[in-house]
Amino acid sequence: MRIAAGVDVGSTQTKAVVMTENGGREILARALVDTGANVRKAADNAFLAVCQAAGIHAPEVGFVVGTGYGRYNISFGNAQMTEISCHARGAHFVCPTTRTVIDMGGQDSKAISLGKDGQVLDFVMNDKCAAGTGRFLANAAEVMGISLDDIGPLSLRATRAVKMATVCTVFVESDILSYLAQGKKPEDILGGVHLAIAKRTLSLARRIAIEPDITLTGGVARNSGMVYALEEILGTKLQVSPDSQFMGAIGAAVFALEKLDQSFEFSAWRPEHAAGSRH
Amino acid sequence: MAEAKRSEYRGNIHQRQKDLMLKWYDRLNEAAETGAPPTASLMISGNCVELLEGFGAAPIYPEVNALQLAIRHQSLDPILAAEELGYAPDNCAYVKADIGCYLKGITPTGGKLPKPDLVLCNFVGCNTYIKWFEHTAELTRSKLYVLDVPFQREDEPSRADLDYVVRQLKEVVALLEQISGRKFDYDRFAEAVRCSAQVEELWSQIKHLARRTPSPFDAYFDAITLMGPLYVYRGTPEGVEFFRAALEEMQAKVDAGEGLYDQEKFRLVIEGPPPYPYFRTFRDMFAKWKATTVASTYSTVGGLWEFGARHDPDHPFESVALHMLAHNVTNRNYLQRYEQIRRYLEEWNADGLIIHFVKSCRLFSAGQGDMRDYVTKKLGIPTLYIESDLEDPRYFAEAQTRNRIDAFFEALEHSKLGAHTHA
Repeated sequence: MRIAAGVDVGSTQTKAVVMTENGGREILARALVDTGANVRKAADNAFLAVCQAAGIHAPEVGFVVGTGYGRYNISFGNAQMTEISCHARGAHFVCPTTRTVIDMGGQDSKAISLGKDGQVLDFVMNDKCAAGTGRFLANAAEVMGISLDDIGPLSLRATRAVKMATVCTVFVESDILSYLAQGKKPEDILGGVHLAIAKRTLSLARRIAIEPDITLTGGVARNSGMVYALEEILGTKLQVSPDSQFMGAIGAAVFALEKLDQSFEFSAWRPEHAAGSRH
Repeated sequence: MAEAKRSEYRGNIHQRQKDLMLKWYDRLNEAAETGAPPTASLMISGNCVELLEGFGAAPIYPEVNALQLAIRHQSLDPILAAEELGYAPDNCAYVKADIGCYLKGITPTGGKLPKPDLVLCNFVGCNTYIKWFEHTAELTRSKLYVLDVPFQREDEPSRADLDYVVRQLKEVVALLEQISGRKFDYDRFAEAVRCSAQVEELWSQIKHLARRTPSPFDAYFDAITLMGPLYVYRGTPEGVEFFRAALEEMQAKVDAGEGLYDQEKFRLVIEGPPPYPYFRTFRDMFAKWKATTVASTYSTVGGLWEFGARHDPDHPFESVALHMLAHNVTNRNYLQRYEQIRRYLEEWNADGLIIHFVKSCRLFSAGQGDMRDYVTKKLGIPTLYIESDLEDPRYFAEAQTRNRIDAFFEALEHSKLGAHTHA
């Protein structure tokens, strides 16, 4: 039985997934830790946690692919791939009819166009600006004193969503304070916040060809208010998996399995690409 | 762990180019100290350096000064000095670096730069040029002439366009005679145009060698090596000699089957100027994937010669005008620019296009979104769009840029491997 793992070291959280190939490909376990300041340690902890959850020992894992910004800091990684490739692969594994991936992370937004075999055809990412990313939501939640888990469901109760004057993740705070001072209801403010981010994300995504099925990945996909806002503007249903946050790690694990399978020779497998070497 | 093989080109031509450029700066230093030879500031795109040869005058290229500073990681100080004076963050950073150099007395080699006898703004497509040279003329208290070159809205310039530019070229001649006290030497001018035609033929042949597999040089990163002499020495026998030697060297590499890497894995076309403050870093991001650029639009700012256009020594004024109107990338309309890229992708057999958007340059950057659409949707060629700046070191996000480049090549590699297994 072949076992492989994917570790996704993101700016806020590190995710790890263990997969096996035994007839078909199957996810054995998932784990998630906060990245914090020590990236190497976060990767170690996530990996150990996922092995424990899978009931296996680390040496049983035949191949590890690292992804995310911290991918070169994974001391036990065998290869690194960008999160663009991994999110695409992961989304395709979870939902094989995926043709477009919209990923909304802590500070990154991206849209990826896939071919029918799950290969990346085109992608676009936010540049120099975190507007329309999870950070916007986090700042809004903080200034309103509401937890991140609650803002989504609360936003669904909006009856008259406010119009946000800015998409600036920093300046959104003063905007919200101003609305609160005017007596606007929190649900209406949050409705407006979610709509603003959805519009921003979609204007980014429309630079590539958006085709169904559209799979939403990344931590923000767990926010029901965000899913609703995106579907409203897109005019179509989105594929959202409970594994949306693990999509990058899942894709990395799939690539790792393929390596074990010998079905795919990437230059990513070359020794000079292994963790620790400088590029 | 073995270091990825350095892919930099360090042949004889690289050193000869350095020597030639230093010699040019020495000449400018001499002009600063003695007042001779006469000098004129010029823009690179659509430059009429042959005209200056008719006076034995030397060109000053503020853009070359700016990029030299950026490559040496010295551009930020003058940029900040210009911003303190009031230049906006959005202003072209070439302008700010250049103006900042005047303010702070900085030069690329430490030698002196002369006060130009004439600030000759050959305005080809980039309207920032006009303001830049107006400011330069004011700062240096030099005479300014704005040579208005009509933008190429149609396929070919009209007779009226040509006459208009030729008339202005002759006005410049009269002006330079008056300023320099030297008589315009028509034969010397025609001879310069003849040398230019020869240089263009050689440069074009070098560019065409990149159609081979593997290409003997990188038509983006290595082309920079060849572009300096193209601007400064185009109308001279030294220029002809340099490009002859360059062609020989490249031909020898082709004959030996030598490319940049042990295996040329990817062939690219690159659109847009390079991020000079991060030139080496940027290059390494592509070298890691064994990607060679086989054609670039940036290397045609000083003239687009690979499709057959040449200066004509039998019609020197007209052919100089024609170059300024139609044969440099910045004065050409978007459809012509897309067509140029399409030809590169097809005829130079490239796997993908990289569009490098630079914040400073509206001229290059305008239309790139549409260009990306055209190349990905109409031509079906994988395209990567990345952003930074050509002069200002503050606009380069290394991790983000590297990530996008890696993702692009991962996908390209995947599709190449997929095509191979399905064959």
